[in-house]
Parts: sequence; structure tokens; C-alpha cells
Amino acid sequence: MRVALLLAPALSVIVVLFGGGMAVAVSRSVGWMPVIGLTDPSLAAYAVVFADPDFWASFALSLHIALTSTALAAVLAVASALLLRHSFAGRGIVAFLFQLNLTVPHLVGAIGILYLFSQSGAFARLAYQAGAIAVPGDFPALVFDPYAIGIIAQYVWKEAPFIGLIVLANLQSVGEDWEGVARSLGAGPWQRLRHVVLPMIGPGLVSACAIVFAFAFGAYEIPALLGASHPPAMPVAAYRAFTDVDLAQRPRAMAMSVVIAVVAGVAIWAYLRAARRA
Amino acid sequence: MRDIHTTVLAAAMTVLPALAAADTDDGDSLIGADWDTIVAQARGGEVNFFLWGGSDDINRYVTEYVGGILADDYDITLNRVGLNDTAEAVNIVLGEAEAGIDDAGSVDMIWINGENFRTMKQADLAWCGYVDTLPNGALIDWDNPSIANDFGLPVDGCEVPWSTAQFAFATNTALVEDPPRSIAELIDWVADNPGQFTYPAPPDFNGAVFVRHVFYHAAGGPDRLLGDFDQATFDAVAAETWDILNAMEPDLWREGATYPQSLSAMEQLFANQEVALTFNYEPASVGVNIENGTFPPTARGYALTDGTIANTNYTVIPYNSPNKAAALVLQNVLLSVEAQIEKADPAVWGARPGIDFGRADAAAQAAFAAVGRHPDVVPVAELSANALPELQADWIAAIEQGWLDNVGN
Amino acid sequence: MTDGLWSRRMRLLGGLVLVTWLMLPLIPLGVWSVARGWFFPDLLPTAWTLEPWRYALSDVGGVPGSLGVTVGIAAGATLLALIVGVPAGRALGMHDFRGKRLVEIAILAPVIVPGIAVAMGLHAVFLRAGLTGSVWGVMLVHLVPVLPYVVLVMAGVFANHDPRLEDQARSLGAGPVAVWWHVTLPAILPGMAVAALFAFLVSWSQYILTLLIGGGRVVTLPLLLFNFATSGRNDIAGAIAVIYVLPGVVVLAVTARYLTGRGVALRGVAR
Repeated sequence: MRVALLLAPALSVIVVLFGGGMAVAVSRSVGWMPVIGLTDPSLAAYAVVFADPDFWASFALSLHIALTSTALAAVLAVASALLLRHSFAGRGIVAFLFQLNLTVPHLVGAIGILYLFSQSGAFARLAYQAGAIAVPGDFPALVFDPYAIGIIAQYVWKEAPFIGLIVLANLQSVGEDWEGVARSLGAGPWQRLRHVVLPMIGPGLVSACAIVFAFAFGAYEIPALLGASHPPAMPVAAYRAFTDVDLAQRPRAMAMSVVIAVVAGVAIWAYLRAARRA
Repeated sequence: MRDIHTTVLAAAMTVLPALAAADTDDGDSLIGADWDTIVAQARGGEVNFFLWGGSDDINRYVTEYVGGILADDYDITLNRVGLNDTAEAVNIVLGEAEAGIDDAGSVDMIWINGENFRTMKQADLAWCGYVDTLPNGALIDWDNPSIANDFGLPVDGCEVPWSTAQFAFATNTALVEDPPRSIAELIDWVADNPGQFTYPAPPDFNGAVFVRHVFYHAAGGPDRLLGDFDQATFDAVAAETWDILNAMEPDLWREGATYPQSLSAMEQLFANQEVALTFNYEPASVGVNIENGTFPPTARGYALTDGTIANTNYTVIPYNSPNKAAALVLQNVLLSVEAQIEKADPAVWGARPGIDFGRADAAAQAAFAAVGRHPDVVPVAELSANALPELQADWIAAIEQGWLDNVGN
Repeated sequence: MTDGLWSRRMRLLGGLVLVTWLMLPLIPLGVWSVARGWFFPDLLPTAWTLEPWRYALSDVGGVPGSLGVTVGIAAGATLLALIVGVPAGRALGMHDFRGKRLVEIAILAPVIVPGIAVAMGLHAVFLRAGLTGSVWGVMLVHLVPVLPYVVLVMAGVFANHDPRLEDQARSLGAGPVAVWWHVTLPAILPGMAVAALFAFLVSWSQYILTLLIGGGRVVTLPLLLFNFATSGRNDIAGAIAVIYVLPGVVVLAVTARYLTGRGVALRGVAR
């Protein structure tokens, strides 16, 4: 059929590269690779990984980073979208900067956050000039810290505009008629937000948040740059295991990556459920 | 344009492997061959040199000076590949060996020493036995145990020295005019000055050697530790070392909750007065960093009275390098008197030579003696008066793992 | 309306806060790129210099080469993605068929699943195929996140495409190639441009995929930037960062009118 012909090239690429890559990762994580003589599948790598308290520390950290970043970005995004809905002086600049932010790669933002938030960074120097601190050590630890504050700040900085633009598009296409009706019935602004606006943008918001969550959980370069040495975020732990000269660590690295993929799978499920409601 | 060159080259190398010209992967035929034959075989080819890329001075020296000699005198293209960590290159060779790629490797030479070299030597990944083929190989003093042994592991002709280094400290004189000049003094100083000191977490190269200095201090000197690994001695000394470092932890930067992940990270802290002291295997880097604006001009290097560890760094050719002839030419150039003098110039790099100038002619010796020193770098004589040897690899691995298990968690 | 959550005064304030917050991380990068000797607690560098730019634009640091490699890989991945993605977008946008849901999930999965798992799996395969450490290998692995974006954007474009135009042309006797060239292509070209530019941006910002498959041999701009940022050369890192964001700004300038317009582009908007 003609549709099959149209889809075939793209689907084959995705099946071979994405599907194949995931399949190899999973099979290597269970130690099954006949090509190099491993024909004894076992969950040994997973057992080692799940028994390791360091793994759970990394998992918890990445979960914390992803949930907190997504929640904060979502709140900021909705607030900004409501702001940008109507015109005001300077709206064009803000809208332009929102879009500009989308084109700035994550790594650049992360380096910028580092220069702003480190104990000898821009904010610390301002604090010193204001007399609030005497030495860099007095400034709170916002990067390389156990709460991943710098990492979360970077994700919020980058993803709030992303979610915000999607929410804004939804708001604009939905229009304000329903809110007008609610207002005429006596509902105040917060009530209108909770009962009219949020349900309408809900599906789009959840879809966008699913994407952001999966990214914040599984991205490597931001925690590699801004994270504390211990515990490392999950992708950093997986990469370290993968590049360890001890080749026995490889299946464990694959196991950790599969865990990351499973968490992303949960995000996909959430995305699809929300999209179905749209 | 270089980008087109890169793309075309990559295309050629993946699509038309048979046409990879001047493939000199057969090492055996090169060993003991006539030098001119080797140079003729290498001419017109290329060599891929993998080395730590975090210093633009080193990058400039390798790309412009060394690359220039190779291009002008031998018509060989030098491809410098900058790494974040030498282990990355070792990993490439390891992966290729595992995949059975024995004669078309992507790595021709690695700047290496210590544990990375041990990985390569033990896995038979290094090409060995060719050193006598190099004309400038005569300049190497293999009788010197610190040259013949790389972190206690006999070199056995599997790598060639490039520079020697000795661990040295540096202080920010704006914060600390009179720094602690021995490990014992340092321990007391940290307790009196909380938050002003830290060290990179092992397995970072420089962090690991700092921990080894504390280990030597706990053992009362290195004498008991030289030679083969002894579990009983290790356990006794290690217990005391971890006690010292754990007691120090609350007085470190960030109360020891996190350690800098690399020497560069710690040098940044030093530059911004987050910590008052720093250290480096390469003492000349203090001068280099002052000159390029990374360090404040008030930084000054200093030696320890109870000595610091000295070692050698090398270049290794992987067994599966397809450009061995060109790699030999490159190594010969790196060993040459001219290149070593240029490298020792503090305006260029400041690294101390890996060859023995006593074996060179009088003109070379005079030229080397004339090389200056950056005023804020600790004098070589002061350092080498108290040079401590490295331990054998098993000790080093045990100390690193011990730190991770007992201190760094 | 001013009786929403945002009053007029609050709007201006909110706008100001947003502008500052969006610009803030980029400012120190720009300053560092012309700084010499900038230590705590100085608010401004001790001296100004163009040395970081001189180094960044010279061959020694490898920045121009890296820029070329990054552009080449992004362009190649974009081209490949367009070739296979435009037809797939047409199928998704203009046709309903059994299993469409499944296809949509298959297209979506590479967008959401982080690249580290896929790249680790592909590494072993690519190693044997001789693709690791090569520009082609990196280009192929970039297809994994890039292709879905192209398909999704084109699906939106084709959803708004009227098939009757093509029917008319065909009924007037035009062959399929002529129909494609004279009717379909001009209609979808703006959308294709958006898809292409977003695809380029997605490849442009890839890090872990290039790191794992490139094996240290393929050094794209983000890898080089990371190396300099972690080795303490903030000045050089600043210069490279500015160079690195420039193409994105160019992309924005070209596609601005498409972006603020229809929601169709936003469904496939790049991160």
C-alpha cells in the first residue's frame, strides 16, 4: 500500500537505529551477545546494580532533579504564558527571548549557570560587594551541591520557555470565551485558572512535562558539569561505568541505561495518556 | 577548508579502507630497520596523537612546533586529538582489541603514564621493542630507575619517555604568605584554617598522588613501601592514612561534602580564592597559568621539605596503530634535543626533559642550561633535592580504592 | 484584559523579570570571552583582551575544525532526515490507517527516551562496522533524535495540506514528478524549512551521542566547549560558547515568523 511505502524508510531507520540500539543495550545488560561468545543470559548485572546503595542514591538524585525541575518549569511556564497572552509594553522582547532561549544549547546554559551560581561566581561577587559575605566559602553552595540546585536551575531556565510556548499556543488556540463565561458567572481569577484554564491546557501541559521530565532524568552533560562528585546523577554513573577500563562494568552500565530508558518509558505512557485526552 | 577535509577523510577511511595509503601497521618489519627506510615509508602519511587537551600551551606546542617539524621536514601530517582524560584513548584501543581490530586502529600514539600504561601493558595493547630503532633513543637514560619504571612497573621498551615531572605546591601569597612546607605542617594548617584547602577526588591523577604523599607521611617515609605490594604493611599504613584524611575532611572546602572532580576544578577554586593552596605534578604550570591570566599574579610555587614524588611521563604506540613508521618519526622528534629544549622554555610549556642532556653534545647542553625559569615557579634544584620515588602499581591501585571506600563515600 | 491574574503593572514587572532571567546566564559567558585575569571578588575583569577570540579562531585550539565538523554532521543528519522523514510525515498527516497509533509511538519514542541508552547499545555494533570515531557514525546516531522531529513537524504541515490541489493537477494531465515539483513542494517548502532548521538545531546540541559514538575522535563544538569549561579556561570557553549559540540565533531569525504563527510548528518545537 502506498502509505507503507511512504513510511518504510523512516520506520526502518528508527527500528534499526533506535530499536536496534535499545535491543543491544538490553541484551548486553543480561549478558547475551552470541557474537562475542556470551550465550548465558542472566540478570546478574541487574542484581549487582540493584544491590548497590550507590545506585539507589543516584536514582533518587536523578528522580529529585527531574521532578523538581519539571514542576518548577511548569509553574513558571503557565505563569509566563498567562502573562504573554495579552499585550503589554515589551511583550515582543519577552516573546523573542523565549524563542531565543529554545535555540541556546543546554550546555551553554549550564556553563552560564556555573559562572553565575558558583561560590566565586557573579552572584557571590555581588554579595561580597554588598558586604553580605567575606570569603567565597560564606556564599551558599548552589553548584556541586547535594540538592542539585544549580542543575535544577539550569533545567528550569531552559525548559520553562519550552513548556511556556506550548502552553501559550494552546491558550491562544483555545481562546478566552470559556473564561468570559466563567467571569460572567462571578468566578474570580484564581477560580477561573483552576477550573477553566488549567483543564483546557492540561493535556498539552502534561505532554510537554513528560518530555521535560524524561530529558531531565536522562541527560548527561548538565550533571556532569554542575553535579557533586557523590552521588552522581544516573546518566553520569552509567557513563562512568561504561568507560571504566574494567570491562566487567559494561553490563552494569547497560543495566543502568536500561533503567533510564524504562523511566523514560513511563514518561511516554504519561504523554500518550494526556495526548489522548487532548 | 579543514571541515571538508575531515569529512572527505572520514568518508575515505570508512568506505574505502583498502585505499588507506602508506599503511605501516606491520611493526615487526620496522624494528631494527634502517632509519632512512622508515622515514621514507612514513613520508606523506599521517599520525594520530592522542593527548590531554586541557592546556592551550601544550596544544600550541604540539600542533604548531612539533606538527610544523613533521610537516616541513618529513611531510607527515600530525593530527592532534585532545582528550578530557587519557583513559578515553586507552578505552578506544581496548574496545578495538575486543572487536578484533588489530591493524587498523584509530590511535597512533598516546601521552601516557601510570595506571593507563599499566592497563595497556598488561592487556598487551602496547607496541614494544622498537626503542633502539630510534636514533634519539640513545639520549634516554634507561639506567635511571625512575625512567626505566613507570609507577613501579618496568617499561620494558613498551613506551618512550617524554618529560619528567615532580609534584609541587603553590600558594596564593595574597592569602597565605607562609604556607605549610611539609605534609605534617599541612595537616596542622588545615585544622587551623578550615575551608581553605581541598584536593581532587581520586582517581584523578593529581588527587591520587596527594593521597600518596599523606600515605608516605603515615608510613614515615617511602622506604618501607618500595618493592612489591605487602598486604600487612599496606593495611597498617592505610588505616592511619584514612584516619588522617577523615579527620581532615570537616576542615576542607565545603566540609569535604564534595571534592573537586579534577585538578582544573581545584585550580579554579584556587584562582578565585575559594581555597588558598593548590598543587600540580607539573610545577611549571604555575608560571603558565599566571601568564595566561588563569592564576592571579600573587600565586607562587613552593617545594616541601620532606620531599615530593617525582615521575616520568611517556608516549606509547598501540599495537594496532596503522601508522607505526610515522609514529616512530614523531617519537624521534619528541625526543630530539631541539624539541626538548623548546618544551622546557617556560614561555612555551616549561616541562622538564625526559632525555638525559648529559648524553647530548656540548652545544645542546649549553642551550639547555640557558633555558630560563619563570620567577614564580619553584626552582628545579629545590625540588629535585628531595625527590621521592613512585610506588609500584599494586600499591597505587590499593591506595586509590582504599580512598574511595574509606574517605570519599 | 486587566482583570486576569496579571494586572497591568504586574505585567510590566513580570516582563522585566523574565527578560533579566532569560538573558542572565549568557552575560558572564560574553564577558569572560574578552576577559583577562578575572578573579573573585571583582565584578569586572582586571584587563580586557581579544586573546581568547584569537585562540578560538585559530587552528591551534581546533575550534574552526570542530565548527566545520559540527556543521557538517548537522547538515548531513538534517538532509538524511528530510529524505526519509518527509514521506513519513505525509503518511502520518494525510492518511488514516490501521496501526497508525503504533507508528506514532515508534516515532515518538526516540524523542523521549534519553540518548545514553541507545548510544551505549549502538556503540558495540558501530565498533564492528568501523563507524565509531567517524563522522558518518556520529551522523547516523544523530538521526535517532533528529528524524522524529522532522516527521512530527512534517506531519503537522501535511495535515494542513490540501490534497485537492494535487488531484486537480493530476486531472489536468501532470505526471507524478511534475505534481510533486510544481504543486506539493512549493506548498510544503516553508514547513520543510522549519523542519530542517529544527533538525539542524537538535543535531547541533547533541552531546552524549557524539561523545559515545565519536570516541573522542569526532570533536564537535559542544564536546570542545565542555573540555575547556572543565579545564578552567573560562575565557576560551566563553568565546566558544558565543560561537556555539550563533547558528541558533540565525535559525531563529529565519524562522521567527513561522514560529509565532501557527501551532503546527510548535508541536515539533526543538528543545
